[in-house]
Amino acid sequence: MIGFELSGVTKTYGETTVLDHIDLSIEPGEFLVLLGRSGCGKSTLLELMAGLRTTSTGTIHLGQERITGPHQKIGVVFQDSSLYPWRTVARNVELGLEMAGTPKAKRRELARAQLDLVGLPEVAQQYPHQLSGGMRQRVGIARALALQPEVLLMDEPFGAVDHLTRLQLQRDLLHLWSTERRTIVFVTHDVTEALLLADRIVLLAPGPGHIAATWRISQERPREPDALRTVHAEIHEHLGVPQTVKGIG
Amino acid sequence: MSISSRPSRIVLLVGRLVLLFGVLAICELLVRGGIVSSLYLPAPTDVLVQAWQLLGGGSGFYMNLGVTLREFVIGYLVAVVAGIALGLLLGLVPLAEAFFRPFLAALMAVPKVTVIPLLTLWLGLGLGHKIVIVFLFCFFPIVYNTIAGVQQTSEDHLKVARSLRASRVQLIGKVILPSAIPTILAALRTEAAAAIVGAIFGEMVASKAGLGNGLNEATTLYDTPKAFAFIILITLVSVLSVTVIDQLERRVLLKWRPRRSLR
Repeated sequence: MIGFELSGVTKTYGETTVLDHIDLSIEPGEFLVLLGRSGCGKSTLLELMAGLRTTSTGTIHLGQERITGPHQKIGVVFQDSSLYPWRTVARNVELGLEMAGTPKAKRRELARAQLDLVGLPEVAQQYPHQLSGGMRQRVGIARALALQPEVLLMDEPFGAVDHLTRLQLQRDLLHLWSTERRTIVFVTHDVTEALLLADRIVLLAPGPGHIAATWRISQERPREPDALRTVHAEIHEHLGVPQTVKGIG
Repeated sequence: MSISSRPSRIVLLVGRLVLLFGVLAICELLVRGGIVSSLYLPAPTDVLVQAWQLLGGGSGFYMNLGVTLREFVIGYLVAVVAGIALGLLLGLVPLAEAFFRPFLAALMAVPKVTVIPLLTLWLGLGLGHKIVIVFLFCFFPIVYNTIAGVQQTSEDHLKVARSLRASRVQLIGKVILPSAIPTILAALRTEAAAAIVGAIFGEMVASKAGLGNGLNEATTLYDTPKAFAFIILITLVSVLSVTVIDQLERRVLLKWRPRRSLR
């Protein structure tokens, strides 16, 4: 297991500062949720950690290694799964292994194992357009897991699926995490989702993006949103949309 | 009448056949009755006889067909390979694309038929002449579509590949090229038809053989039924070649796509 260390991470585009001096330490095996409204820089921060963008100033370390580009220990799950429509599900899952030069037979085997893990062994030979949104997102997770990363970075992975599917995916993700205890950094703008999943919630606020507050959630999982309504109300207060305690749910 | 209560397929088919044979029968009567001269409009039965004779090998039909197909296949394949290669290069190197864009646009704007006489002067009447014409007729749209296809590659798909540590070559081979294929294929289909037009037109303007040459001969001799027979057979060749590409597209290259009815 391995954790992240961000120090003084700043990202500017021309004159605009998107992220300003982010200091954050993510423990090995931690489930950390980056919460914030759109435009607060949370996706940018995730992409910096993924090595898909470079910091303007400041450093990001994964364990002892400085992140300067995509890293084999980091798996990324994207917002809309972004499967390749011209590849079968199995070959989508194999993509990273192909890039790494894994032999074909080994690829097949690993891809099948990952599809089993996300509960989709039967769709291997189908094409993405034949799957539901929730299934596609599972395949996206399987694709990220195929290279056996030690860290999973997830960018609003359940944002585009319907409510019930989302609840199921959240439950399955927690199960996956509890069996392997990978470090997970999960971006969302959904307060309830953050409360259900996180060990720690880091709230990012815009203008320019900075850490506004953090909460440690130590309650046992699976959690009942109702039991967390005090924190829920507090987070809403910070987001600038206060709500009465009664109005939750 | 609601949209769902359409006439059954059999009724449609019968209706269409009645219209087709009705029109043909009227033509036949007009010509046979001497109302319209067979010089202007051939009797459909005469056209049928001519077509049958051509298909039986009359007027060196198969030799001519071979000549036209050779011109088409060589010119088209060279245009496809060169067009995709140049399109990829320009699509992948934005600086090169920006530099060459006005030149390409200018060359593409030249109506290709205008250079056929000059090409005759430079290359004579033979195969080389037709290959260049076919090439010019279909090369530029293939280049353009390839560039467009490359540029349409989804940012998200590229991001996925980069997160999986793809090399530059892998990015091109596993993401950019597959993304561009549907757009390239669209050009290959339309340009196959354009290539046939190029071959036939080149033959009609200046040639010693080929289907266009045969058509020209028939017209010059006022053999209207034979000219019609040539037109029908040339159309068939064109439809067949586009169908071959269509099938290749549907069964091999784009089999991952959701099936959509084109009708």
